[in-house]
Amino acid sequence: MKSGAEGHVRRLTPGTVARLVTLVGVAGIFLFLLVAFVLAALRTRGAMSSADPLEGLSWRNLSYDWKQIRGFDGGLFTTWYENSLLVCAGGTALSLLTGVPAGYALAKLQFPLRRTILVITLLMIVVPNTVLVIPLFLEVAAVHQLGRLWAVAVIFGFFPLGTYLAFIHFERALPRELIEAARIDGLSEVAIFGRVALPLARQAIGVIAFLTFLADWTNYFLPLVLLPAPNQETLTVGVQQLITGSQLYDPAGAAGSPVQLYMPQLVFAAVVQTAPLLAIFLAAQRLLVGGATVGAVKQ
Amino acid sequence: MLCSPYLLLLAVVGLVPAIYALVESLRASGSALDRGHGLFANYRRVTSDYRFDPSFVHIGETLVVWLPAFVVIVVGLALLMHHRPGRLSRSVQFILFLPAALAGIANFVLWLFILDPTTSPIRVLAHSFGETTLDTVAQPAHVPVILAAMLVFLGTGTWIVIVYAGLNEISGDVVEAAIIDGASAWQLARMVKLPLIRPWIGFLLLINLAYGFQLFLEPSVISQVTHGVVPSDWSPNELGYTYAYSLLDTGGAAAISVILLAVTLLIGIVVITRTKLLGENRQ
Repeated sequence: MKSGAEGHVRRLTPGTVARLVTLVGVAGIFLFLLVAFVLAALRTRGAMSSADPLEGLSWRNLSYDWKQIRGFDGGLFTTWYENSLLVCAGGTALSLLTGVPAGYALAKLQFPLRRTILVITLLMIVVPNTVLVIPLFLEVAAVHQLGRLWAVAVIFGFFPLGTYLAFIHFERALPRELIEAARIDGLSEVAIFGRVALPLARQAIGVIAFLTFLADWTNYFLPLVLLPAPNQETLTVGVQQLITGSQLYDPAGAAGSPVQLYMPQLVFAAVVQTAPLLAIFLAAQRLLVGGATVGAVKQ
Repeated sequence: MLCSPYLLLLAVVGLVPAIYALVESLRASGSALDRGHGLFANYRRVTSDYRFDPSFVHIGETLVVWLPAFVVIVVGLALLMHHRPGRLSRSVQFILFLPAALAGIANFVLWLFILDPTTSPIRVLAHSFGETTLDTVAQPAHVPVILAAMLVFLGTGTWIVIVYAGLNEISGDVVEAAIIDGASAWQLARMVKLPLIRPWIGFLLLINLAYGFQLFLEPSVISQVTHGVVPSDWSPNELGYTYAYSLLDTGGAAAISVILLAVTLLIGIVVITRTKLLGENRQ
């Protein structure tokens, strides 16, 4: 981009060096924290007394970690995992089914209150969803549905950011002439959406699905409040239970526990919790870092 | 219609609870002992709670530490990457994005591992301040800095992607003209690019400002692992949770929620009126 110097050896000015050092330094700090953290799951409790993140590494420690986590409170960890999968898959599916058609309608159709809906959608993006958790708790309690997984899935199904991104995508990337042509061919508005707009939006829908799933999978406050019983909890709340029920942070309370939870086990639980997201990250690396592509498919 | 299922959810998950909280907050509730009179009794009760003001002060302290650092780091790194978007920039961008997968509780465990001097790979830092236990590292005065570190680690990658998108919208002609005029890389970044991405920086500031008011998970689990050294009503959202769950004071909990909702809605209105998010003005 600058002065067309491709292929030439760049001169090392102080500015170039400073840029390099800053970028590599910051990335190095991030990478060090991440790697040291993940490796901690492979270490023993005793090895933690060393600051060296490579001290006491062994694959065998993983099966020990897993046994401790699975044994916690009679095997709740796998139940939490199932709950999380159910609630997040349900929420993501629901948000796509409702949000993508709505984004299309907001971008391409004229109807009353269109602008109002758009403004409310934007407001709901800015207002952090945790601000509404207590009001949602009051609402769900009023209709006696506390402790129901489906209630959490329905709430996850409302993802205004997804609707807004679908709106931006259809507005920018879908030529109006295409819709006009389909109308002349006699297709209904719903058929135009389903047969013309939707197939062209596959990549954007992938990004929206990922963002919804990410938001749902990492949500803590909502399931904490709406799912009070231990066997109903999701994984995020479960990991918090592991932390506060560990020998490390509650030696007295965990004294009689049949499982031993120290830092390696807690780290392993956190890594297992976040594994689906990391897998998607690595698989969809280009899609995500290419970044904010949802609106910019046009060129 | 294509929009109606979404509208139904918008109503059930967004509007109804907000209105219901507003109604509940205006109704008489709370224990008979300290029930006040008048429409705003719940508001008077919660705002005079000795924990109410400190909870907002805590958020303020955290925002003061976190937001300026966050903006400088995100915008600075985005400009450095945009200067020469090559393989190095893309790799750094991806590495910084990875912590987003840890959002929430996993990020908390990571920082627990880093902060606890009995497990930390960088415990030498804590030791140099004479701190050898988690309780002294995570003492209340340090919490804003700790939260700022957690939030910077979590959000930098995501927000670089957003600011970078803004940088990519700058027309190549503008940049070229500046280079022909003899602008150095530094001048180009400071006097051309920075002013042009000002709306994006404003967007970053406002969204994260709103985000600050809802903090719950991090302070709440810090309180648990320090056994109350950090109070369990550190943030307004935690206080609302206490009112709803421990005190069973629906009206009080609703009042705190409405206050938080009002603050964040106000920020939202500024975002919408000051930025061009509605898309109609764009090509």
